Amino acid sequence: MSTRLRRGQAPTRRMAHIWDASRCIACGACVMACTQANAPEMMFREEKGWKSLASNIRRIDSVSPHGRPELLLVQCQHCENAPCISTCPFGATYYDTDGRVRLDPARCAGCSYCVTSCPYNVRWLHPDNKLPKKCMGDGCIDLTDSGQHPACVQACPAMARDYGDLNDPSSSVSVTLRTKRSRRLLEATGSEPKFFVVEGSR
Amino acid sequence: MTPADLHYQVDVAHWGWSIAWFLWFVGIAGMGSVAYYFVRRAPLAYVIFGSLAIGLLLVVSHLGRWWNLPRVLWIMVINLDFNFNSWMLIGIMMLSVHLFMTLFIVIAHLPFLTNRFGWLGWTKALNASNLYLVLYAALGAGATVYSGFLITQAAGVPLWNTSLIPVLWVISGSVAAIAVLELLYVFGLVDARVSSFGVRLGMGLDVLKLLAVLGFLHVALSFGSAGARFGAELMTSGEYALMTWGGVIGIGILIPLAIGAYTIFVGKSKPLLLVSSVAALAGVFFLRAAVLLAGVWEPLVL
Repeated sequence: MSTRLRRGQAPTRRMAHIWDASRCIACGACVMACTQANAPEMMFREEKGWKSLASNIRRIDSVSPHGRPELLLVQCQHCENAPCISTCPFGATYYDTDGRVRLDPARCAGCSYCVTSCPYNVRWLHPDNKLPKKCMGDGCIDLTDSGQHPACVQACPAMARDYGDLNDPSSSVSVTLRTKRSRRLLEATGSEPKFFVVEGSR
Repeated sequence: MTPADLHYQVDVAHWGWSIAWFLWFVGIAGMGSVAYYFVRRAPLAYVIFGSLAIGLLLVVSHLGRWWNLPRVLWIMVINLDFNFNSWMLIGIMMLSVHLFMTLFIVIAHLPFLTNRFGWLGWTKALNASNLYLVLYAALGAGATVYSGFLITQAAGVPLWNTSLIPVLWVISGSVAAIAVLELLYVFGLVDARVSSFGVRLGMGLDVLKLLAVLGFLHVALSFGSAGARFGAELMTSGEYALMTWGGVIGIGILIPLAIGAYTIFVGKSKPLLLVSSVAALAGVFFLRAAVLLAGVWEPLVL
């Protein structure tokens, strides 16, 4: 079970998410599964700022310059240089020993600094408890602590999602990143995200 | 063209009007403390104290989980775990110390307190100490700078990620401090001598503020990322254009400049000074509100 990383301590694992855009069929199962696992009380409620289902995965539909419909699914990137951890005045946002960015509700006063600090706009304020929710929620933490994949990975019918340890060269995410073309979002921010968008074969 | 993935920070993070008022009060109190070093008048100390108290109340009331704050502070203290990378933590500490330093100055100006409670006499010594007042002015300037870096550090909003904001906040905070002095003069709370150095200095600061505002917008529009550019467009030709051109520049800069010129060439008129100082204070508020409300995230595309 992962615990809070102490100052100066290095994470034992570097858990990362992969989303394979070339496989995704845009069914939205991951978005729904995320809400069901992490905030079931929000299943039929909207995140007003995003104008979409309150989920730790944000869906972005757009049209390419050539007129082709495009989809991007984003979630907490579990950045290795996370701006939300730098800015949180109370230490509520922290790294765990798996290298994931986590939230300690006991230390959160609801200032929203982490929300404005996230370059990916993937935190949302829960309307009831005012916590800045994000991937991974309690439901997915429980799943991964028991050795399972997060809800989005389990729900994806197209095998477009994966989750694993970047430090382990034999993990499925490491193999995918070695064999397929991928990129990270907004790298110029220097946040060192651990969310990879796979674009297809090399 | 509006990007597909466009989200206003105010809709998601809710940093809206209450934060704009907070930044305004911090600007008045911060640069007001610098002005206090020079003028040392009781009414200014009262204004600074009131501004700080209201500003801090606003920021606490804005917390979504304010009721959890005592527990949060307790956990931080017992673990001796303070995130000094966070401008918000640094700033709140600075403002709290600033509030107490101002309280001592206010007490020193209340003879009915210092006479009745002799042990409060040390506040008069503090208020007479140049060292204390230099520290006080430095803390005030620091608090104003903090209020700029507070939003500069928010990496999600590219419009804010510029060192021009703290500079802009210091210049506009100075404008606000001079406007407060002018208002105090208009209401007969300070003498003409205190107010006299304000007109030319205020005009100079207005010109600097105009340059800084235009520079801020120019840099975002010309060299900023898509999010910074869209935010600047909201301020120049979009939803907040009226607030920028009418409020920040028209009311906040041009009216005080025109009245300042009239005062220099024709003479001081209290009604006009009243209009000028209220306009300057309103402009300082509009500046903070427009910059805050125009904040959007960098649009993400595949």
